[in-house]
Amino acid sequence: MVKSYRPRTLEEALKIRSETRCIPYAGGTDLMVRYRRGAGLAAGFDQPVLFIGQLAELTQIYEKNGELTIGACVPYREIIHQRHTPEILRQACELIGAPAVQNLGTPGGNICNASPAGDTLPPLSVLDANLTLQSLSGERNVSILSFFTGPGKTILRDDELLTAIHFRLPHFTVEGYRKVGTRKANALSKVSFAAFMLKEKEMLADIRIALGAVAPTVVRSRELENRLIGQPLTDLAKLLPEILESYGKLILPITDQRSDANYRKTIALRLIENFVLKEES
Amino acid sequence: MKNSISTPTDRLDGPEKASGKAVYTDDIRPEGLLFARTLRADRPRARITAIRLPEIPDNYFIVDRNDVPGRNRIKMLEDDWPFFAGEVINHVGEPILLVVGPDREKVADILNSIEVEYEDLPPVLSIDDAIAAKSPIFGDDNCFAAYSFRKGDPDTAFSTAKTVIEGEFKTGYHEQAYMEPQGMIGSYKNGKLTVTGSMQCPFYVKNAMMQLTGFKEDAVQIIQATTGGAFGGKEEYPSLLAGHVAVAAIKTGKPVKLVLERGEDLAVTTKRHPSVSRYRSAIDENGRVIAMEADITLDGGAYAGLSAVVLQRALFAAIGVYNIPNVTVRGRVMATNHVPSGAFRGFGAPQAFFAVEMHMEQIASELGMNPLTFKEIHLVRQGDTTSTGGVLRDEIKIHEMLAKVLKMSNYRKKEGIFASKKGRFRSGIGLAIYLHGCGFTGKGEEIIKGTATIRKLAEDRAEILISNVEMGQGAQTTLRKIVARILELPIQNIEYANPDTDRVPDSGPTVASRTVIIVGHLLESAAKELKKRWNESETLSVSKSYRHPSYIQWDQDKLQGDAYPAYSWGIVAVEVEVDTLTYETAVKGVWTVHDVGIAIDEEIIRGQIEGGILQGLGYASLEVMDTADGAYRQHSFTDYIIPTSVDAPVIESELIDNPYEYGPFGAKCAGELPIAGAAPAYAAAVSHALGIEIHEIPVKPEILIKRAVK
Repeated sequence: MVKSYRPRTLEEALKIRSETRCIPYAGGTDLMVRYRRGAGLAAGFDQPVLFIGQLAELTQIYEKNGELTIGACVPYREIIHQRHTPEILRQACELIGAPAVQNLGTPGGNICNASPAGDTLPPLSVLDANLTLQSLSGERNVSILSFFTGPGKTILRDDELLTAIHFRLPHFTVEGYRKVGTRKANALSKVSFAAFMLKEKEMLADIRIALGAVAPTVVRSRELENRLIGQPLTDLAKLLPEILESYGKLILPITDQRSDANYRKTIALRLIENFVLKEES
Repeated sequence: MKNSISTPTDRLDGPEKASGKAVYTDDIRPEGLLFARTLRADRPRARITAIRLPEIPDNYFIVDRNDVPGRNRIKMLEDDWPFFAGEVINHVGEPILLVVGPDREKVADILNSIEVEYEDLPPVLSIDDAIAAKSPIFGDDNCFAAYSFRKGDPDTAFSTAKTVIEGEFKTGYHEQAYMEPQGMIGSYKNGKLTVTGSMQCPFYVKNAMMQLTGFKEDAVQIIQATTGGAFGGKEEYPSLLAGHVAVAAIKTGKPVKLVLERGEDLAVTTKRHPSVSRYRSAIDENGRVIAMEADITLDGGAYAGLSAVVLQRALFAAIGVYNIPNVTVRGRVMATNHVPSGAFRGFGAPQAFFAVEMHMEQIASELGMNPLTFKEIHLVRQGDTTSTGGVLRDEIKIHEMLAKVLKMSNYRKKEGIFASKKGRFRSGIGLAIYLHGCGFTGKGEEIIKGTATIRKLAEDRAEILISNVEMGQGAQTTLRKIVARILELPIQNIEYANPDTDRVPDSGPTVASRTVIIVGHLLESAAKELKKRWNESETLSVSKSYRHPSYIQWDQDKLQGDAYPAYSWGIVAVEVEVDTLTYETAVKGVWTVHDVGIAIDEEIIRGQIEGGILQGLGYASLEVMDTADGAYRQHSFTDYIIPTSVDAPVIESELIDNPYEYGPFGAKCAGELPIAGAAPAYAAAVSHALGIEIHEIPVKPEILIKRAVK
């Protein structure tokens, strides 16, 4: 039987984390599937389990001075109901799993699971979210984009916990979210897309674009965004083919049992084009 | 005036299922229970050269083919399917042995430490491989069954045709996706074998167990446990699982339970046969089809199973609902090193209806005609002959039904508006017309000769004794309603327990949409006689056995005559919207009219219709199941995508009364019928929306974007 810990405070949790190699467990919606062994058998965790979903320090969601802080273990359902939640993040959370998964699942789990298809990753990426990683020896804040190193791989250390996600509430004129899933609900993404645009005086003042499920980690390129920023809106159609070609090099999808690489790539590029030129998603 | 038998009754099995009180196979835990798990082949075709077992602790057992007391073959059409693999395995997931013991953890540990050594053999991994027959796995041509028949003089018709139009149509695997995975419990006490489990056909299981064990009839008892869905998936496969727990129980002397994990169930149980159909039609100068040739090939998987009969139903449906004077129909089921294909609601007919309906769409489009008008002028009428030369004796109401569907869906108007729609979102509407032959194909009902019994229990109580099962389709409510109505007793006073072969006569399997039309009719006759003789005795039983109506003629060797005693009919219109940004398709509306004779219960029939249509829409659009190296690539309901309630459209459904003389209260068949038309109607709607021909399901966005975007 696997050993498990159920700390009462974050400090206790960090202490356990520093002393024992263990698997942090928030809602368990990914972990229980991954370690499932069959009916009547205990889940096959290969390390002790550290339950953190009950910790008050990790389950707060609040807005302060234009910044939204989401505790790593706030269930999706609460994020959906928080009135400050940006629309693109709300839509992403509403399309994760079924209501039961939304009641248990957390963005902390979604981020640390580091699946290329993680549904909160594109919206959090365009929100320029920062992650707070805590350990007994201190705290560091990292950009969500620097957190992932590959599918299932992150920079989180064995003694750290992701405790919160925070970002400035956005002020954009156009926003877009699209999940192209295997069906309309309770589906995994074939491609997902989140984006913002700020249009000022016939100019593209800012743009942020992120894509999920089309590369080993979420795709976002400030460099390509910068090539569009500051351009007159009337020039976007002319500039876009070259930009899309560059995005094409970042989009490296796979063919699997749910879709194929050609479809994922074609749709990813179409979503960018459609958003930039038609403001639709 | 509506016939009052149709007025909805509360479902009698509803409360216990909704409240969680129903006892399914996995809920049954007899004293001393042992758990079994299965060691399975991990490759499509190989010779087993060695099996290395760990040390087996006390009270744990390995059960394999050497423990089979009788014959290691499931009793079916061809006895080629072993319960436990022999020296050669023929499909991924083929069971080799069981590990049995009291603690599930230990059973899993033992299972995981068994090593099997194989010598790989060249596998047959597609229909084309099978036809090439380089290293055959069945006979010398890999063909489980082949049939052909003709009507009229197709050769002359083709030689005089103005135009000949050909097309190839493909359908994929289709998983039944019942809620309750398959499971069985076996026990062996005082020389008697009892198997309890999730199943459609207790006497199929019983016959299979007698052949497996060599036991006499009275030493084998089969009991159906409350069954959480089946859809045909629990027609033949339960015999295999029953055999496993039976052999294990005989060996260990203790009750043994085997319940499949969901992933295991997806990986190893039977699915709907994938098909490739080639059609060719001869058209005269008036745009009429004067001859049609259909050639249907099914992938049967590694063992013959029920494939030959599935093929027969496909072939008898191959010309659809059209009166074509000259016809050639051919078909075969090929052996491959895939998991055996098997029974699934519709039983071959959905593949054929997809092909023939899309072929009719294709002809209309190539002739520049409106597809619906084109179909309409070819529709059969009462008195016409079927492709096997049978006579459509009963009244056919499809013209009336068609008028109704067109009105409900506003079809003609939408057809025009949608065709001229531009922009990102394109709409389309399509329609399919279909039938279902009620009961067994050919002589099946005569061979089975089902018997149904009703027993008077008290002055105000009676019991139904039949081997047909409630599996979610509503048999509990429907059959009790028929008997209650005739005996003029409250429906609650009619008992109908899950069948136990020690208590019930063999009324046949719960398949082929036969439960109401065939068994319900036997119950109706038995109830009528019992009603007359009610006062004769305190405990009176009346039994009735099936007799084919005398006018039904069938020649099984030539495949000529009336393939079915009666037909139910359906029409479905489907409206879709395609987002041409992503080529995702949404179903915006479904309108449907069915003729099932008389509905015994309108609500239950509505459930069958909505469920069948949704299952058919899934088949047409989302439900992708394909193979790599002989194994399914979809292992879970995360990857095998069935529609959710969010994907389900509103389905407007209506019935048209058309009573059948030999059905209870005029009822015909309804269970399988509604799945037949959804796929072609959906494909026709997508085709209409995008202006492309569709020849294959599932209609995936991945394929649409390749076809529509150049």
